[in-house]
Amino acid sequence: MNLKFWGVRGGIPTPGPQTVKFGGNTSCLELEFRETQRRIIIDAGSGIRQLGNRLMQNKTDKNCISADLFLTHTHLDHILGLPFFAPIYLPDTDLRIYGPVTCEEEPLEFVIGAQLSYRYFPVRQAELAANIEYLNLQEGHFDLGDGIKLVTKYLNHPLLCLGYRFEYRGKSICTAYDTEPFYNVFSTDTNDPSYDEAMAKEGELAAQIENSRIEDFIRDANILIYDAQYLQDEYETGRAGWGHASIEYAIETARRSQAETLILFHHDPMRTDSEIDELSDRFCQPKHTADTQVLFAREGMVIDI
Amino acid sequence: MLDAPSKADTCLKRIRIYIARMPSLSTTVTKVLETCNNPKASPNDLNRVISLDPVLAGQVLRLINSAYYGLPNPITSLTRAIIMLGLNTVKNLALSFAILETMSGKGAFRVFSVNDFWAHSLCVAVAARHLAMVKGASVSSREDFFIAGLLHDLGKIPLNKQFPDQYRRVLDESCNAQRPLQDLERELLGIDHCSVGELIAQKWQLGANLIQSLGYHHKPDNVSQTNRPFVTLVALANSYANLLKIGTAGDVAENHHPIISYLLEQSGLDWKILKNLGDQVLEAIEKAKIFLEISHKG
Repeated sequence: MNLKFWGVRGGIPTPGPQTVKFGGNTSCLELEFRETQRRIIIDAGSGIRQLGNRLMQNKTDKNCISADLFLTHTHLDHILGLPFFAPIYLPDTDLRIYGPVTCEEEPLEFVIGAQLSYRYFPVRQAELAANIEYLNLQEGHFDLGDGIKLVTKYLNHPLLCLGYRFEYRGKSICTAYDTEPFYNVFSTDTNDPSYDEAMAKEGELAAQIENSRIEDFIRDANILIYDAQYLQDEYETGRAGWGHASIEYAIETARRSQAETLILFHHDPMRTDSEIDELSDRFCQPKHTADTQVLFAREGMVIDI
Repeated sequence: MLDAPSKADTCLKRIRIYIARMPSLSTTVTKVLETCNNPKASPNDLNRVISLDPVLAGQVLRLINSAYYGLPNPITSLTRAIIMLGLNTVKNLALSFAILETMSGKGAFRVFSVNDFWAHSLCVAVAARHLAMVKGASVSSREDFFIAGLLHDLGKIPLNKQFPDQYRRVLDESCNAQRPLQDLERELLGIDHCSVGELIAQKWQLGANLIQSLGYHHKPDNVSQTNRPFVTLVALANSYANLLKIGTAGDVAENHHPIISYLLEQSGLDWKILKNLGDQVLEAIEKAKIFLEISHKG
């Protein structure tokens, strides 16, 4: 299989001279299974536009476009490219869109479709020509056919967000973004008037358990694509609770889980190419990363697995 | 020819529809709205306000247990559920149910007072937690007893809301004839609050202890051996709350003393245990009232 990065940026597309090297498009990954012609897309950030254009270029009258699109969650930077994904305007395109439901239990079609209404976009969802099927996902194990297995796991983000683990012929690719470490949100300060001992202790324990469940989910992955929006000191200065992890935490977690290759992903919109180059020098050297290879995701990067 | 649907079937159909959008209690709704709309509200306050509302507590546990996969045991702790789901998700969920209540504008209950129901539920919760402590339960498992106590009468909400006229008769006849409420519910509605509660707990995947507590808190002897000690303590807390008459959920008819004696014996406890419990329960309820009333004053 081939893994291609079409968008690696978090938050908002960031075009400009300072993001030429690593790219300014928001999240979109493509997983192509050469033998079975299956295509899995993860997220529909702005990167999906160019993926769509490539698919259109390669399309002939005899082969229609077919893909499974897995949305990690429905925050805007992960879905805003969908209206510009050209294959959705072709009647012979088959697209299955999977994603987690929100706590309000509104169907995925409604959540995604909200941006395809006249107030936001000139084409309504009902006017799309492609055959689109929406499938709500929860945590679980799924057989996608053609020997492809999927495991899903809820992450820690301000909206229900799924990590995906695709397994095929003994190899695994795992996504763990957008997420941050679980931590005890309840007060541990005994002077706090709302302090509650039982709540404080259970909060600590629950956070530990959930972090270890995430590590079990990513364990031994051949490719681990992990949220690394911040540096640890940035994370600790007012960004806890925003649903993104630090580079340092991503590396520690990948090493503990014995991931083979860690790809640091979802770069902060403020991070420039030169800064990422510096961070590569600082964090991606084998002396720091031991048995886990670490690299920063770059738009256009292709990995053969 | 098809048989006409039974009274119970007709009731159940309406109840099932109602359960999906059951509103939170008006007693807690103002505090829920205040806490969830305030970005700086403390997570402790969020946890606390949810733990004071049987419907909200149940809805949070429903979400966690229906969405997550592969958990070795159902999650019955609100603290853990909030950590796992995240503060925003829980706030959104709480708001959606609080808004349902605001929109209905009629209060959750039509027959007996929602405040009395709330006080009774909280009384059973606090008493069950205390009894569990006396029995040596760990700090975290005591919270399971609290939740079971808080939720035990959840089945009365759909009956009360969906069949107010019939339920008024159930209460009146139970009081006049001094017969157990659940017997009259079955006679007049075809189903009792225990069965409705069990249905809710099953639908929300709340786990065996909670399912059995909601279904059998009037008949703990009918519970499987594994869950019987748990349900017996919840039943004891319920009878004790009825004896104290702190709040009410309509159970006015029973002679509570022999039931309490029997349940104490089954639990390996005696009346001395209950001696100071009343003060603790009253104190907990007063604290909760202050916590909720602060919001009413803005």
